[in-house]
Amino acid sequence: MDAVLSLPPSAALPDDGVALDDPAEWPAFGHALDGGRWESQVVVEGMHCAACAFTVEAALCAVPGVLRADVNAASRRARVLWSADAVRPSRWFAASAAAGYRLVPAGDLQARVRRAREGRAALWRWLVAGFCMMQVMMYAYPAYIAQPGEMTADAVQLMRWASWVLTLPVVLFSCGPFFRSAWRDLQQRRIGMDLPVALGMAIVFVVSTAGTFDPEGPLGHEVYFDSLTMFVFFLLTGRWLETRLRGRTAGALEALMNRVPDSIERLSADGSFQRVAVRRLAVGDVIRVRPGEAFPADGLLIDGHTTADEALLTGESRPVPRGRGERVLAGSHNLSAVVQLRIESVGQGTRFAQIVALMESASTGKPRLARLADRVAKPFLLGVLAAAALAAVLWWPAGPGQALMVAVAVLIVTCPCALSLATPAAMLASAGALARGGVLVHDLQALEALATVDTVVFDKTGTLTRDTPRLDRVYCREGLRPGDAVELAAALGAQSLHPVARALVRAWEQEHRTPPDWLALDLREQAGQGLEGHLQRRGSNAMPLHVRLGSAAHCGVEALPIDAPQLHLSDGHGWVASFVLAEELRADAAAAVAALKAQGIAVQLLSGDRTAAAREVAARVGIAQVQGDCTPEDKLRTLQHLQAEGRRVAMVGDGLNDGPVLAAAHASFALGNAVPLAQARADFIVMGSALSAVPEAIAQARRTLKIVRQNLAWAAGYNALCVPLALAGWLPAWLAGIGMAASSLLVVLNAARLARAAGAAA
Amino acid sequence: MDILFLLVPFSVVLVLVILGGLWWAVDRGQFEDVDREGERILNND
Repeated sequence: MDAVLSLPPSAALPDDGVALDDPAEWPAFGHALDGGRWESQVVVEGMHCAACAFTVEAALCAVPGVLRADVNAASRRARVLWSADAVRPSRWFAASAAAGYRLVPAGDLQARVRRAREGRAALWRWLVAGFCMMQVMMYAYPAYIAQPGEMTADAVQLMRWASWVLTLPVVLFSCGPFFRSAWRDLQQRRIGMDLPVALGMAIVFVVSTAGTFDPEGPLGHEVYFDSLTMFVFFLLTGRWLETRLRGRTAGALEALMNRVPDSIERLSADGSFQRVAVRRLAVGDVIRVRPGEAFPADGLLIDGHTTADEALLTGESRPVPRGRGERVLAGSHNLSAVVQLRIESVGQGTRFAQIVALMESASTGKPRLARLADRVAKPFLLGVLAAAALAAVLWWPAGPGQALMVAVAVLIVTCPCALSLATPAAMLASAGALARGGVLVHDLQALEALATVDTVVFDKTGTLTRDTPRLDRVYCREGLRPGDAVELAAALGAQSLHPVARALVRAWEQEHRTPPDWLALDLREQAGQGLEGHLQRRGSNAMPLHVRLGSAAHCGVEALPIDAPQLHLSDGHGWVASFVLAEELRADAAAAVAALKAQGIAVQLLSGDRTAAAREVAARVGIAQVQGDCTPEDKLRTLQHLQAEGRRVAMVGDGLNDGPVLAAAHASFALGNAVPLAQARADFIVMGSALSAVPEAIAQARRTLKIVRQNLAWAAGYNALCVPLALAGWLPAWLAGIGMAASSLLVVLNAARLARAAGAAA
Repeated sequence: MDILFLLVPFSVVLVLVILGGLWWAVDRGQFEDVDREGERILNND
């Protein structure tokens, strides 16, 4: 193969501030908002807990020009809102680094590389701790089983020396992150979650070292090297597993992000294919995609026939066939054959990029329950330190060595991590599972609201029925063939997102491979009324035809005397054609309504359509409560009325025409592929066309809330039980280490069940 | 019993040597992706 691999120099962001401050690099990790403001996504390094997240937030917000910073402890990502007029990114990057946390622009290769290096260091720390622990146990064993006088003093001392030598690498190397983060916190005059643990480790080491080298000293002659190495090992095991699990549960996001390949073969001017970086692609380029590769951009197939795996983008788990003239999506996988496509949109314009942007914003949001846990973290840590001091004082008469060990048990056994991880871990796992099932979560907070929903209100058009109605009949002016009328209408309708316009386009596309032979010029759309513009035959110089497409009133013609949705076409001479449309129910509408009822949820239908049509659809899917002829204001009023009765309402709509109603509901779903994702104002976005995603999402939300409650109850109960036990001196340090590691692990494992449960159901 | 005074320091040295070997393995990325090696036989190329 003679393909040349060439990556542009800007493929990875250089770390220095100069590149960060180049506005051309900003879109690589964020996007512009109005008024010169930017929203950037960054990865925060060296963060373990909610307290860390707080610190980074505070450091970022202290920089003038940074308007807002949201840091998520579970996904280790931050969303920063800043003003380009007042500050450059290098300023707030530096501010966070000064607080002890490096920032890396998200969506960047470097972040992945650095995470791999961090993971490797963590594994290495764990191995050292584990190995030294085993050997220290060997040295400790004789002292436990020997009868008094059986071991000579020399032998005892030899074992202690050997233990001390092997404990050194554990304390100096394996415990490094605990000490570093505790020291960082102390320097900044604050309390972090690692402080109690680091303090505990230091105390045990000092007591045991004193016992080894100065057995007659005030700290006694007991040594605890075995306990020390053991609980360090358990803590590191817990943290290591936790990181892996967290990586996996929050990993739906990563799975999505890593879908677009780095390079692809592009057709060059001389007709050969050359491998270029995906960032160099432009609209109109022709590229070749081999089976097994992912499509790098949205485009139209111009050669070849294949099947594509769009599971992560639409929730459709079966491969879909794609032939010439059909669209493929960036991020979907080419499964069976080599194909060529012409690119229609790249980078931020692709549907894939919109999905990623949505997921990023969701994973950096902080649910209410998590904010609550953050608030109690600090007083909780102060309480732990106070309890440890109290323990030392109470036990002092029994000997300084033992008093300190009891204090150590208190320091180590408390587990604030479980408290702060309880909510975000579960919600992220759930959001990941839902994303795999084709439902995007816009706002994590909404999962909590959705779990308590007792009424679901459906919109009709585009929700219970398919996005686009079917073209049923065509009436047209004498001398014109129905096909020609459809061609004219499709040429206009192609420019609109309205479902009725799309029905005409689809009707044309079903019959013909090529686009209509007319060009639409200076087109105007009147929302809810119709389109108006000029049509000119391609390549002809004739006067453009002035046409209108839309409701009878819009076109200035008389409506057909039949009770069905209809659309009219008129030109300068009056009526041209009328199109009669029929609505198609979604295949799984009735099943979805039945599933909702089985969940004990009341189902209603609110439609802007005529009452008779709404009634008919409702009867077919099994909804008893119907209201037709609703304006958007009527819908809003009905919704508020329901809410005033104390009902928790979820609204399901197409996300485009019923924005205010969706926003007012407790939880909202937007359905349908027709809507550009960025415009959909809903908490949940159903990417495929399966209505059954709604009851599934509700079931998932209920499970999520249950798991969050279990987690919080566990974290609170564990701490409430173990601290008194440690105070009473019943918990040796090693048991405390197991307790803490197991507690935070249990919380993350419990959350991981959410990812699995949905996977099994899907 | 005197042999202990040789064997115990020797065991300490041995542990440090083994740790050195592990460091070499981790540093070369052998534990980066433990699933990948198992899946490799399923790959044709």
